[in-house]
Amino acid sequence: MTQPAAALVDLGVKACTAYGREDLAARLGRTRGALDDPAVHIVVAGEFKQGKSSLINALLGIAVCPVDDDVATAVPTFVRHGEEKTATVVHDGNPPRHEQVDFADLRRHVVEGDEGRRPARVDVTVPRKILNGGLVLVDTPGVGGLGSAHAAAGLAAISVADAVLFVTDSAQELTRSEVEFLRQARELCPTVVCVMTKIDFYPAWRRIRDLNAGHLRMVGELPLLPVSSPLRTRAVRANDQALNVESGFPDLVKFVQERVGGGAAARRSADAAAEVLAVCDQLTGQFTAERDALADPANAQRIVDDLNAAKRRVEELKTAAARWSVTLNDGTADLTADVDFDLRDRIRKITTEADDAIDEVDPADMWPEMEEWLRARISYDLLGNYTYLRRRAKELSEQVAGHFHEASGEAVGLLKVYNPTPMVEERPVEHRIELARMTAGKQAMVALKSAYGGALMFTMLGSLMGVALGPIGIGIGVVMGHRGLKDEKKRQLEKRRAQGKNAMRRYCDEISFVSGKDSRDTVRRVQRQLRDHYTRLADELNRSTAAAVAGATDTAKRSQTERQKRLKDLDAELTRLAQLRERALKLSAA
Amino acid sequence: MTLVERTRAALTRAAGVYRGSGFDGRIAEVRERLDEPLRVAIAGRVKSGKSTLLNALVADRLAPTDAGECTRIVTWYRDGHTYRVTMHPHNGDARQLRFSRDDGAIEVDLGGIAPEDVHSLDITWPSQALRRATLIDTPGIGSLSERVTRRAWELLAPDDEETPADAVLYLMRHLHANDLEFLHAFHDTEVSRPNPVNAIGVLSRADEIGVGRLDAMASARRIAARLAGDANVRRVVQTVVPVAGLLAETAATLTESEVRHLRAVAALEVKPAEELLLTADRFVNTLPELGLTSIEREALLARFGLYGVRLASTLLRQNAQITATGLARQLTERSGLSDLQEVLGSLFFERRDVLKARSALLALDSLARTKPRPGSPAVAAEVEEIVASAHPFNELRVLATLRAGWLGGKPAVVDELERVIGGTGTAPHVRLDLPPDAAAGQLRSSAAEALVRWQRRAENPMTAHEMAVAARVAVRSCEGLLADLNGRAR
Repeated sequence: MTQPAAALVDLGVKACTAYGREDLAARLGRTRGALDDPAVHIVVAGEFKQGKSSLINALLGIAVCPVDDDVATAVPTFVRHGEEKTATVVHDGNPPRHEQVDFADLRRHVVEGDEGRRPARVDVTVPRKILNGGLVLVDTPGVGGLGSAHAAAGLAAISVADAVLFVTDSAQELTRSEVEFLRQARELCPTVVCVMTKIDFYPAWRRIRDLNAGHLRMVGELPLLPVSSPLRTRAVRANDQALNVESGFPDLVKFVQERVGGGAAARRSADAAAEVLAVCDQLTGQFTAERDALADPANAQRIVDDLNAAKRRVEELKTAAARWSVTLNDGTADLTADVDFDLRDRIRKITTEADDAIDEVDPADMWPEMEEWLRARISYDLLGNYTYLRRRAKELSEQVAGHFHEASGEAVGLLKVYNPTPMVEERPVEHRIELARMTAGKQAMVALKSAYGGALMFTMLGSLMGVALGPIGIGIGVVMGHRGLKDEKKRQLEKRRAQGKNAMRRYCDEISFVSGKDSRDTVRRVQRQLRDHYTRLADELNRSTAAAVAGATDTAKRSQTERQKRLKDLDAELTRLAQLRERALKLSAA
Repeated sequence: MTLVERTRAALTRAAGVYRGSGFDGRIAEVRERLDEPLRVAIAGRVKSGKSTLLNALVADRLAPTDAGECTRIVTWYRDGHTYRVTMHPHNGDARQLRFSRDDGAIEVDLGGIAPEDVHSLDITWPSQALRRATLIDTPGIGSLSERVTRRAWELLAPDDEETPADAVLYLMRHLHANDLEFLHAFHDTEVSRPNPVNAIGVLSRADEIGVGRLDAMASARRIAARLAGDANVRRVVQTVVPVAGLLAETAATLTESEVRHLRAVAALEVKPAEELLLTADRFVNTLPELGLTSIEREALLARFGLYGVRLASTLLRQNAQITATGLARQLTERSGLSDLQEVLGSLFFERRDVLKARSALLALDSLARTKPRPGSPAVAAEVEEIVASAHPFNELRVLATLRAGWLGGKPAVVDELERVIGGTGTAPHVRLDLPPDAAAGQLRSSAAEALVRWQRRAENPMTAHEMAVAARVAVRSCEGLLADLNGRAR
């Protein structure tokens, strides 16, 4: 899928190296890297015991994820392509500890059981064609009802996914919490599909399908695919095409390969092409300036002056006083303050609510539930805080991108003025600018993603689960048989409540300390990534204009024959660049 | 005086205090309820199979069941002389409704009233099973319609008065956070909380856990056992029993023609039978030479489910001589319904008096506290006296404490304590951990030994304070046992 794009980028790298622009070559090298490692994450989510693991096994035609009647999957499993069947267990830690395990032994690590030493995730590779294009299937623990901490973790996983397969079985129509989960998932991820499993077992699955279709319309248009995992497994084993069709899996495979895998590949190709296009523009500008000066010696001085003006502007871009840089610094300060305030506000509300809740119940009875509730509540609010951070960081990034392009656009424009004849059929100008801005913005987004990708949610929520609320002293005497029963009970209850509130406060403090630090770090990382990104861009531009100035200045010193020869060379280079540019345009339009 | 007698005495005193105050009706209601059959509510999440289980318990297809969400109104099924359906609207008076019964289930004509406006339906039906317990069918929690869910909450955890149900069968398909929350809400605060004494968990639709494999019930039994041992579950239900509701319902109402159709399936060779029963769709559409129309096949599926058809045809193949009655008995056995009935008997029905007295005392307590009258503090005091001192309540309190994990001690001792105070059933042989056919002499000597053992534990200065208190209750239990056994011998 991405071969043409890869070939194009390779050409671009070659050109940059030939022209002595290692900086641009390095930029394209990064693009190439993204093409080579095209991880597309498909998260398989749903309530527990709906057949998520069976679905993955049936889809791949190989038993990867352990399936059990009773215990459910407890650890996320990442399944990707590999020549050999391997399994690696990843434990939390800094750095994370990787441990190769026997493939057959996977069950012991993945299913529920020992709470103590549960790994953070399991990486599995299997030789399967369907995963070849870089698809990664993620089997998740069941969300276990909306409002649980598990559900928040599930949603967090979804926020970095390219697609979500939501699994529900045909035993009953979608429940309220499932619909609510789908609604939230859809906001976090562009591609969500609902898969109805176990249609072999439930005679009334068509009724359920129709009911579900009705519920899904409330969420928005989501595809609904009824499937049977056992049938598919049987079909794969017997190589029975008809049975495979009956299992409903061909539709699912098609969806995964084309809509998800294909879509992601197309997006990546287009991104790469746009990148090559931007590099072409810079190189073309540089050569055009020199060519114009050569072709029209009378005008050479004016051209050099203009180029110098452009160069000054680009140099300004690099200084701390540049507008984008100021925007970035101010914006970061605001962002840190606002995110921090948001977090504090949320925690404060939780504490109030928890106090009220404790006043209504007896902590001795409800403590485990309270603990569960508090965790879920905090997970949700942290997720909310994180989403807020992401949104604000994105806004900031767009603002910075806007300011950078306003300034750099002029400089690039100055370079381009000297392009006398349109060498390829020009597209409307607005479109081109938009394209350029889009790519730059997008690149910044990629940088952003690496800044907060995984930083917060997975590890954060994971470690949160580890923070214990701590038991409270129950101090219950078994009192009975006399009149004072009621008063004595009341006194003990008050004591327990006070203890409970204290424990709750301590817990909230701890959380707000840990996650406050984490989000400040994330914002700092965002700032650094954006700063480096735009400084690099400014450097590239600087080198382009400097080369153009040097080229144009040189023309004066050349003899007539040298000029003619250089002119011919430049025309040849420009034609080559134009060809490259055309290929890139075609690919990005596809 | 027994607990019920003491409760009745408290009610008589209350009747005197509240005479002419407008609450006579309320007290008469409470008194009436004390003599009624036990009220057992069937609750759980949507589509957990509540109506199906109700039908299985009544051995009649009374409640309508459907693949979609079906029960939307709280419906009471009680024994009576005539067939009658009464509707209680939210506003206005109760009125009788017309109903029909064509395809098994009772179809009620609401007479143009929207289900939202109906508080509850009351169905009176002459039935042996309902004589023991009034059953209450509830809408599921977690329904897509908020209102439907709220109704179930209102029934089981009302804000103001006593719970309308004495005990609850809680259906779960797999334990869920919502389930625990719900069960907690159901428990009152007075006698002791959380109180697993009035709730039994049912792992419903058990055949679906193994997605219809023939060994599905074995899996379900293993899961139920694990759940019943889980600390969080133990705090809210007494035990967890797996039931394949659909199979149980069908077994209780099996017809000859259904058995005939199943015999046709059983007559197939193993291999084609397996192919045929691979999926529900295949069972309906393939193998025309089977001699059953697709309508007949769909009907079989609707009644048995794929698991039921697989199981019943296998049973028929193994033993072609088996009669319809024999098959029904085997299916009931395998569906887990017999186990559930046994558990219901030992944990609910044998404790009927305690559960009933508890409901009545709760109602009386809330009345005395919220509607003060001259003399009402005395009523409240009497209620508190009974609640604090009656031995069955003390047993329940110790049981709840123990279940909540607050009583430390050697596991063997804690287990024995739970048995002696009636935590696993109140019959003497259960309390003493003897076989059901144990001779009276053996029971007596065993009880006497237990008495000595618990007396020693209660008086041992090394025993922790809590355990000592619990041991004193166990001593009373043993004394009660001995008195009963001696009384029986005389």
